[in-house]
Amino acid sequence: MAALFENTKCECGHQNPPDTTLCESCGKPLGEEALSNRPLEMRYDGVARRSQKANPNLIDRIWNFFSSVKVAVVLIVITLIGAMLGTIYPQENTFINFDPAYYEENYGLAGKIYYALGLSHTYESWWFITLLVMIGASLVICSLDRVLPLYRALNKQQIRKHLQFLTRQRVTYAADLEGGDEEWTRKLAEQLRKKRFRVAAEQTALLAEKNRFSRWGPYINHIGLIIFLLAVLARAIPGWQLDEYVAVREGEAVPIPETNYYVKNIDFEVEYYSDDEMPDRLKGTMRPKRFETKAELYVCEANCGSTALEPVLRKVKTHDILVNDPLEYKGLKLYQFDYDTTPRLKAVRPVLMDLKSGESYGPFELSILEPESEYELGPYRLKLITRFLDFTVNASGEPANLSSQPNAPAFLFLIQGPDLPAEGETFFYFPIQTDRERFGQDLINGEMAERFDIRVTDMANVEFAGDVSYLNVRVDRALPFVFVGAFISLIGLVMGFYWQHRRVWLRIDDGRLTLGAHTNKNWYGLRAEVAAALRRAGLDVDPKSLDNGGKKE
Amino acid sequence: MNWLSISSGAFITAFALYCVAFLLYVIAVIGRKWKNREPEGHLRKWGRIAFVFSSLGLAAHLVFFFTRWAGAGHIPTSNMYEFLTLLGMAIMIAFTILFAIYRSPLLGMFALPLTVLIIAYAAVFPQEVQPLVPSLQSNWLRLHVTGAALGEAFFAVGFAAGLMYLLRVTDYNDKSASARRSQRWLEFSLYVLIVVAGFIITVFAFRGSGYEASFVQENLSIDARGNEQLTTQTVEYQLPPIVKPHDSEPVSIQPFLGLDRPLFEAPGWMNGVNAGRKLNTVIWSVISGTILYGLLRLLARKPLGAAIHPLLDGIDPDDLDEISYRAIAIGFPIFTLGGLIFAMIWAEQAWGRFWGWDPKEVWALITWLFYSAYLHLRLSRGWHGLKSSWLSVIGFLIVMFTLIGVNLIIAGLHSYAGV
Ligand code: HEM
Repeated sequence: MAALFENTKCECGHQNPPDTTLCESCGKPLGEEALSNRPLEMRYDGVARRSQKANPNLIDRIWNFFSSVKVAVVLIVITLIGAMLGTIYPQENTFINFDPAYYEENYGLAGKIYYALGLSHTYESWWFITLLVMIGASLVICSLDRVLPLYRALNKQQIRKHLQFLTRQRVTYAADLEGGDEEWTRKLAEQLRKKRFRVAAEQTALLAEKNRFSRWGPYINHIGLIIFLLAVLARAIPGWQLDEYVAVREGEAVPIPETNYYVKNIDFEVEYYSDDEMPDRLKGTMRPKRFETKAELYVCEANCGSTALEPVLRKVKTHDILVNDPLEYKGLKLYQFDYDTTPRLKAVRPVLMDLKSGESYGPFELSILEPESEYELGPYRLKLITRFLDFTVNASGEPANLSSQPNAPAFLFLIQGPDLPAEGETFFYFPIQTDRERFGQDLINGEMAERFDIRVTDMANVEFAGDVSYLNVRVDRALPFVFVGAFISLIGLVMGFYWQHRRVWLRIDDGRLTLGAHTNKNWYGLRAEVAAALRRAGLDVDPKSLDNGGKKE
Repeated sequence: MNWLSISSGAFITAFALYCVAFLLYVIAVIGRKWKNREPEGHLRKWGRIAFVFSSLGLAAHLVFFFTRWAGAGHIPTSNMYEFLTLLGMAIMIAFTILFAIYRSPLLGMFALPLTVLIIAYAAVFPQEVQPLVPSLQSNWLRLHVTGAALGEAFFAVGFAAGLMYLLRVTDYNDKSASARRSQRWLEFSLYVLIVVAGFIITVFAFRGSGYEASFVQENLSIDARGNEQLTTQTVEYQLPPIVKPHDSEPVSIQPFLGLDRPLFEAPGWMNGVNAGRKLNTVIWSVISGTILYGLLRLLARKPLGAAIHPLLDGIDPDDLDEISYRAIAIGFPIFTLGGLIFAMIWAEQAWGRFWGWDPKEVWALITWLFYSAYLHLRLSRGWHGLKSSWLSVIGFLIVMFTLIGVNLIIAGLHSYAGV
């Protein structure tokens, strides 16, 4: 069809680019638009866009694909459905120790298929990321395709428009007037100014316009979204992300993995709700009210990571870390994640008793985590053979460790001395009384249990370790961009939705007034405003009667 | 003086005022056609009276909200009861704003029952004030919850207007296949609303009569140390058990109309906390909703849509379409800010990540994507009227699923989620 209308010169003398549907100057409908009587398609004031080019080549085709709002909606809908699929079963990243058999075990065949399709990690899958990238491409191209032509169209507007341009607006009005044309024009201009329109008038025609800036809202929103998406994708850049957990016991300092920082837990406190603060249903439960780690952050300046030399630390920040209140230092953030207040032994100071003589030797300092390898006690010598932190007897009957937490410490000593074989005799020692009974220390030690005992004589000789605070260490360099993008996007939304671009054109030809008005949304408001202005100028019209239809497809 | 008792008094007052206001809006709209009346004048007068009552209801609701805030020591937005009453209040605020713009009493006839339904539903949940765990003690969270509720409230009003549009334009005399399809879907939408009402009525009826049944359920789980652990749990029912929890034995069951033992057992994959009970509730809701629907249908002697349709005679459908779109357009930036941006800021402060693909977060994103598709379709593809109204209905369904379905269904299917 386009070929039919190659002559693009308008009757007003303006030379329009090919495929313009409304003359850029006087607004006369051109091409196919001239053939109908329906309200005009005013979206971009009829200007030609690159994506409407005839005879597209490959690049044009790609451009056209991404600049289509239809394609954008399809992409958005596919993304939405994909996101839904990811919520059917828990995603892999919700497990601390992920076991691929989980899905089949728990959800049967459906779970197996779910896992096989990769839906167990929907949001990291290639197709989901590709969708996001395509939305991003669409946002960029779509906006470029429209924003420049729209800018051109709105930047130079003629005041006196073609009559057809006015009568084929969605809001339009015509009347015969008594009195001077110029005087009426001035009167209406006055009323529209009172409604805060900016009015440009020439003798018997006027253009009143307001809130043009709101037309840029969608584009600003899209720019924000692009920044947001880029920031999200940038999180894959090495070094932009850190996500580690550290456990720090009260009074201790530990290095933060992959950084040269150390964090020290000065003190950890947890406070619980008291019964009278809780409803009946929850009384007697331990519901934490607040927990906090008084922390100090150090930067390591020398001997970092050396096992032989003490690292040289410099304190850089002190902060009480609470949930919702992390310690922040140069992009590094430490979050209160969890805690463990289970009492754990740090050290005991037991004595070695010779049960035969009743003599006791010691006490000696036995640290649970860092025991000495030998202790000299009177005539006896204790050599540490091995130590268990969390003692258990495994399936094949061997002693073993259940975990690396000091839940059930146990020490295997070799005792040498008078009346003992030269190579010594072994002796198991469980510092915690309940473990001693649970694992049968005396039974294991056999005859030695009748000769010796290792025991703590006084509670003062037991030292407990402090509480453990678990901190989550984060670095996210993309974060500022994420929030800047989100904020720009929001500004665009507010501009586009809470203001509307309204224009009113008016011309009076020998006592006949013709008015056309356009807005990008909220026609109800536009009709009310135009009707009110006309009424004040002395023309009584019902707002509804200004409607020229046009919503009807 | 006890804030919390003032608060619960205000709640009941608000509820009663909303019910009265609803009836007044109905009188305003359908009374136009009564004899000896000038329709416009009647609508204006009764519309004004109804608006006074709905505003008084909102005032009482605000009293409820702020006295509960004072009594609890924190803003009441932290459990299902508080959130849903907040949502009801937000719908009334959104309605009041749109009413101020469009002065359409008709909107009240649809927005008020929605509010009534939502706050009645809220009352199903435990109402006591709960102390907050530390992660919930955040101003960003409060902004997030109130912002999201307000955005969703505008979507709800968009839904009410969209539903009105559909009831207005659906032609019940048209027997063509496409007309029948839209009649059926519209009827189904009304049926769903009635099932929700049926659910609420059932819960309160049995609660009022003090009904109780309980089961013990055995749960085999494997703990972190690889030991199998058999735990037994008691599951309390407040509705007569049609379905019992998987692998459970009854402890006590009050017989109800001869029903003294469960008819079925919940399937094994429903292993979540209280999954059996939730299934039982769903079955009861469908049964009582269907009965309620049947009664109304008997009373009307025609599809409910066809019964409501004539009440809307003479209302310009374009206005309804405009109101529905306007509500959604106002709500979208608010939802973006409250539902997503504040949520991201809070998540970042509390957990060190602004986004974690948790089902609730994902569904908020889905809601947002859905409404952005709606806006694009409307702006660029010219989807007005019928198509756009159906989208507003689907959109609200997604909103409700995000708010309630995610907690009840997705979380319920997974044994990891407690709520
Ligand atoms: C998920 C991401 C997106 C969101 C949230 C979004 C949001 C919006 C919003 C809110 C508007 C304003 C609508 C209105 O005024 O009623 C808009 C307009 C628009 N969007 Fe998007 N958009 C997104 C993606 C896209 C993409 C990928 C494209 C690319 C084709 C696109 C193209 C447009 C266009 C052409 C407009 C109309 C501008 C105008 O005529 O004034 N959008 N968008």
